Amino acid sequence: MVEVLQQIINGIAIGGVYVLIALGLTTVFGILGIAHFAHGSVSMFGGYLTFFFVTSWGFPLLLAILIALLVGLMLGVLIELLAYRPVRDANHINAFIVALGLTMMVEGINLELFGHEQVVIPTDFSRVFNFGGVTIPELRLYVILAAALLIAAMTVFVERTKTGQAIRAVAENRDAAILMGVNVKTIPLVVFAISTALGVCAGVMVGSLFAIAPGIGEGLVVKGFAVLILGGLGSIPGAVVGGLVLGITEALAAGFISSAYKDVIAFVVMISVLLFRPQGLMGKA
Amino acid sequence: MLNVSNLRVSYGAIEVIHGIDLQVNQGECVALIGANGAGKSSTLKAICGLVPATAGTIEFEGQDITNQSGHSIVKAGITMCPEGRQVFPQMTTLQNLKMGAYPRKDAEQAADVEEMMDMFPILRDRAGQAAGTLSGGEQEMLAIGRALMARPKLCIFDEPSLGLAPKIVAEVGETIARVKEMGKTILLVEQNSAMALRLADRAYLFEAGEIVLSGTGAELQSHPDVAKAYLGH
Repeated sequence: MVEVLQQIINGIAIGGVYVLIALGLTTVFGILGIAHFAHGSVSMFGGYLTFFFVTSWGFPLLLAILIALLVGLMLGVLIELLAYRPVRDANHINAFIVALGLTMMVEGINLELFGHEQVVIPTDFSRVFNFGGVTIPELRLYVILAAALLIAAMTVFVERTKTGQAIRAVAENRDAAILMGVNVKTIPLVVFAISTALGVCAGVMVGSLFAIAPGIGEGLVVKGFAVLILGGLGSIPGAVVGGLVLGITEALAAGFISSAYKDVIAFVVMISVLLFRPQGLMGKA
Repeated sequence: MLNVSNLRVSYGAIEVIHGIDLQVNQGECVALIGANGAGKSSTLKAICGLVPATAGTIEFEGQDITNQSGHSIVKAGITMCPEGRQVFPQMTTLQNLKMGAYPRKDAEQAADVEEMMDMFPILRDRAGQAAGTLSGGEQEMLAIGRALMARPKLCIFDEPSLGLAPKIVAEVGETIARVKEMGKTILLVEQNSAMALRLADRAYLFEAGEIVLSGTGAELQSHPDVAKAYLGH
């Protein structure tokens, strides 16, 4: 039982990362209908940047994350303005190709700037807590808490603020949102800024919990889309539930079957869920 | 208040509005009537900034608003209750109403929500319900309430009775009459010409992208061509 709880805790930590990636993807998809494949690579860029500030310039971790977040916000705005906005009214295939090209470009930038070596963001969080036999490393606990805080902040932002409601309105009916006085040119900028900031946080979490290396971001974005489909496309609660289900399934599979097959098992569970609920766990039929 | 001069609208290479002129004065209810595809809704969309005008000018309270962005036109004081209601289906009734007040920055929005719920009691009962689950009539009341939440100077209704049961159509007519009594200026597009002309102080008849007749509501009601083609007399 303790071992199961242990794996569930591990799963919640990685699940939290998946949720943050999926939240970024779902808001972008909801507003622009774009499968923003570069999101994972951009997240890794944030992780690399944090690593660089901490190891090369000796910045404290929190300051490094804050600067990476600010860079992420600006990068998000630039991606929307320069990459996606020009193809906004074109055929969907154009945005699809731009997304793929952007992924290769950001991966290339990461490789050029930060090299091909695997890096781990160093932290001082080395304590291990023990709750009745279940051990939780300090870093993992902070990742879980930070992910929970970001998810709560995102939910409050979307549900309780005027800008959050405008984002929902544009996602549900763009023309009606214009008639309400929503500036539909500004909203995508806000969405990309938020999405990228969430991605940077996820990148920092991956970089400190595991490692950052070329190709990790691309794998992460595939998991992010899997979470969206599992939870229900366009649903924030769906992204949360989907991310946690995927993370916990992976951890249980790695702990009790084989870590080599954890992705296979996670995707088998996902396909099984979709066979019975094609709309996803929280999606509407 | 609203002055449209020589307005032309095209979709691609096809021109659908061929240089129309129309005016709406403060406090008036002006109806645009005509067959489906005559250009009424395209005119409204050009006024609201949803489609570009290829020629002509649209002035509102003396300011040129031609081809301005939709959100700045709403800020200027024009709101539209669109064809097909277009409520935000996954948002609650209350959230939809609050979205109507999006351009406002004053502190009286909560009081206005209460006023709308007094005006449309069914919306109070449905406040927490997803708008997409409301009946067509309820959605129309919500769309009207949502439009009024902006405290517009000019309120545009695009086919408010479309797809509704006859009893609900009558209710919609009464509601627009109440909005008129509130002192709002109204521009109404309606295929139910009898209802539109009853409500309107003045009206314009559209045919194939042109205005072919204009006058008071009563004048158009008694015009033989209108009576025959649009009122079934």
